[in-house]
Amino acid sequence: MTATIQPPTTKLPPSQHEFAEVIHRLEAGGAMLPDTPENLMQIIGIYKAYAVPMDFYWRDLLYIAERVFLDPFPFFKYFVPKEYLELHNHYAGEDADLRIWQKGEATAHPELLTFMEKGETFKMPKLLHHWFHDRINMEFAEECMRSMLWHRGMYAPYNKFDSYLDSEEYKANADKAIKAYFQGNPLMLGMYKLFPDMFLEQCRQMSYYSNLGLFWEVMAPVFFEMSDRYDAGDFKTVPDAMNFLVNGIFAVAGRPIYHHVYVRGERYEIIPKSKGFTWLYEAALPYVEAVFYRTSPFRGTKSYNAQARQVPDDQKDFHYGILYADVFPVGTAGIPPTLLMQDMLHFLPQYLVDYYHQHCRGEEDMLIQLGITFQRSMYCVTSAVIQALRTALLYPLDDPNPKHLQANRDFFEAQLNRFTRPEYGIRDAARLRDIQQQDYR
Amino acid sequence: MLSVLIWLPILGAALIALLPKNIPTERIRLAALLVAGFTLAWNIFLLLKFDITSSGMQFLENIPWNETLGLSYQLGTDGLSILMLVLNSLLTWIAIYSSAKQTERPRLFYSLILLVSGGVAGAFAAQNLLLFFLFYELELIPFYLLISIWGGEKRAYAAIKFLIYTAVSGALILATFLGIVWLTGASSFAYDTLTTQGLSSTLQVILLAGIILGFGIKIPLVPFHTWLPDAYVEASAPIAILLGGVLAKLGTYGVLRFGMGLFPEAWTIIAPTLAIWGAASAIYGALAAIAQKDIKRMVAFSSIGHMGYVLLAAAASTPLALVGAVSQMVSHGIILAILFHLVGVVETKVGTRELDKLNGLMSPVRGLPVISALLVLSGMASAGIPGMTGFIAEFIVFQGSFSVFPIQTILCVVATGLTAVYFVILLNRTCFGKLDNNLAYYPKVFWSEKIPAFILAGLIIFLGVQPTWLVRWSEPTTTAMVATIPVIENVGIRSEDQKVSEWLVASD
Repeated sequence: MTATIQPPTTKLPPSQHEFAEVIHRLEAGGAMLPDTPENLMQIIGIYKAYAVPMDFYWRDLLYIAERVFLDPFPFFKYFVPKEYLELHNHYAGEDADLRIWQKGEATAHPELLTFMEKGETFKMPKLLHHWFHDRINMEFAEECMRSMLWHRGMYAPYNKFDSYLDSEEYKANADKAIKAYFQGNPLMLGMYKLFPDMFLEQCRQMSYYSNLGLFWEVMAPVFFEMSDRYDAGDFKTVPDAMNFLVNGIFAVAGRPIYHHVYVRGERYEIIPKSKGFTWLYEAALPYVEAVFYRTSPFRGTKSYNAQARQVPDDQKDFHYGILYADVFPVGTAGIPPTLLMQDMLHFLPQYLVDYYHQHCRGEEDMLIQLGITFQRSMYCVTSAVIQALRTALLYPLDDPNPKHLQANRDFFEAQLNRFTRPEYGIRDAARLRDIQQQDYR
Repeated sequence: MLSVLIWLPILGAALIALLPKNIPTERIRLAALLVAGFTLAWNIFLLLKFDITSSGMQFLENIPWNETLGLSYQLGTDGLSILMLVLNSLLTWIAIYSSAKQTERPRLFYSLILLVSGGVAGAFAAQNLLLFFLFYELELIPFYLLISIWGGEKRAYAAIKFLIYTAVSGALILATFLGIVWLTGASSFAYDTLTTQGLSSTLQVILLAGIILGFGIKIPLVPFHTWLPDAYVEASAPIAILLGGVLAKLGTYGVLRFGMGLFPEAWTIIAPTLAIWGAASAIYGALAAIAQKDIKRMVAFSSIGHMGYVLLAAAASTPLALVGAVSQMVSHGIILAILFHLVGVVETKVGTRELDKLNGLMSPVRGLPVISALLVLSGMASAGIPGMTGFIAEFIVFQGSFSVFPIQTILCVVATGLTAVYFVILLNRTCFGKLDNNLAYYPKVFWSEKIPAFILAGLIIFLGVQPTWLVRWSEPTTTAMVATIPVIENVGIRSEDQKVSEWLVASD
């Protein structure tokens, strides 16, 4: 089933782009995802299922960045202490800086706490839950963080965070924190003396832990709030949901991105808030670029033959993110359904579970179905980012000036051109065409 | 006691055919399963009662019928046929179980299957040539109907071709049987009273040629095989299981029982030709299988190749080779049955059998991973990978035949290598690779569809690691049969006679 094509509301002639229908939809204030009740139900349901593990991810990411830091044997880094589970989210609870999630508490989500205790099996020691992978899979969050680290230099010069990591100021701040952290440990201090760059690089990675943690601290309450509003009947269409995201992006765009480390009760500001790094340019945009578009060519997301030079030479041409992801495992070796899908599976709202039961193999291939739903939802988030960028850099959709409208169109077409490039099979890998069909499950 | 194996399915067939029309298909299927299950249970009981130290006929039954014609109701079983009887009962049950729960015209379908089962059991147990022929012909029309009504797109063509070939086969066999009785001056068709020693060598060779041609069509041997790919491919999976697993064995059984058993002297003359024929069939079957694009047709051609090994072993006529021949018949029946069942499941779920379209079925969530894994196991068994029954049977065949026909045996070994080639092609294209996103909305495979394959896979592995359970039943009988055959002179060096069980122990 294809969604009803919305007629272009602009004064421009129809676009001749391959994805003209999507361009027109974006110009009409819509999303890349067709506006159908089924799509809306799917994306909101999956946002809720994503938000619960995300509530764990951001807490643990900050815990690792701030407390575990450069521990050479971080065996217990996924065991988030009570202090971080009770850490108040700045966008939920009564003491929030900006209360996005109206009904929610600032501490860890109740469903998350219940799951952490029992997992999908039964109550047993934390270590056993960890070994059996009956837990939130932080490996996914770390993979996202690592992806942001690998694809450095994104959105420069708007993104100043990345270049700051190479500055002398950063090195000096990191040096203080490293020396304080290994105080009384001559072996590690000796190692630092011998291999300072290695420690600095680890520190940069920690800064990205913090960056991603702070990014997701915002997104979790956003998704919870969207779920609540949908349940209350406030969202009727996909654009409603997308516009909420766009508004949210602008509301928190200036949220500071920083990296603090706590050593023996003392705070070391490796990246101080005063540097003025912001949520939109230093976290959100790089995150979308790194995680939705690029990531890394691990097996499973897309079939490729590295020996036939099907893996791009240039990292900016990488296309292994969720927007291109092939959620069917390749042979027996595929990674997807990813650990994230496994995490989301535990927190699906009942209406989504019922929906999956009605399609394909029901319970048996729910991971695949929810993976594709997740793909749809991330196309919606990407649409929100595209619309936000258009708002920030270009013109309103109802601008009376045709030149401005053309500039908007050029921008939209340039964005969608990323899905039509023939190099390295990018065109075939992009799922934009698939998500236009409701039967793509 | 053997009569139960014949008449219980036939009685069941009659009762099912007379059931009221409003009975649901599933109940009819259940009734057929019960009848087949009881028959299988009785067969296992007989197997346990079977005296493995005796080379003679057991569970004898003899009821005079028409003495003028020389026809009597004589039944018996020995090491050559007991396993065939069990195979028949087992595969009948498997075929019924693997049939669709909503088969059209179920009363006729299941009646015909049970009728086939009774007929085949009768043929394996008959100790009277005319009685054998009656049972042999009994399965002809049911199989024709089973192919032509429930078959694939070209079912009518395939069924007619099958009918013509099998009718010619029957005519040749009947003519030869009549020739034997008339020329030897025997007063009846009783197997144990017939002796061809008094006939000239030429007459013996002519009559033996009639037997081999008649049964050769049924096996089938190249170039009488052209009915097989069409029939196997067009038949539904349960019927293909019976065709390949049971019916083809009637051919090899007939060659051994009536060819070698009645013409031991002529056998030594014709054996080198048979060995070449067997090797040529094996090579041809394998090469033809490699060229196929349809996985069911590929499996069908593999059957031609594997039956060539049986002919080679029969031609060699050493104790080891004959045990190998019987083992190969059983092993081939089981392996072919599982292959046809799995191919049937793949076709039902994916909607195609074409190698160019199938891909990535091993995919753990949206593919058919268990079916693919079993397909890999079956392919390995068919290719003679150690640890599975295919290896045991083929290795005994080659070990037993090499001393007599070394070149032909080596050709068959090459054919085994080619078997691995086409199964690698089949598995690589079907199970591995990338599952097509646009097509991979296959329905899930139910446990009931996996169970027949699990049973057969269990047998493949069990008989692979415990080969004495495969060979011990037939050893005394085959040793006795070989004793009546003069030494076959050939370029090979005849090894010392050695009991198979001793050889197996020595091999360990």
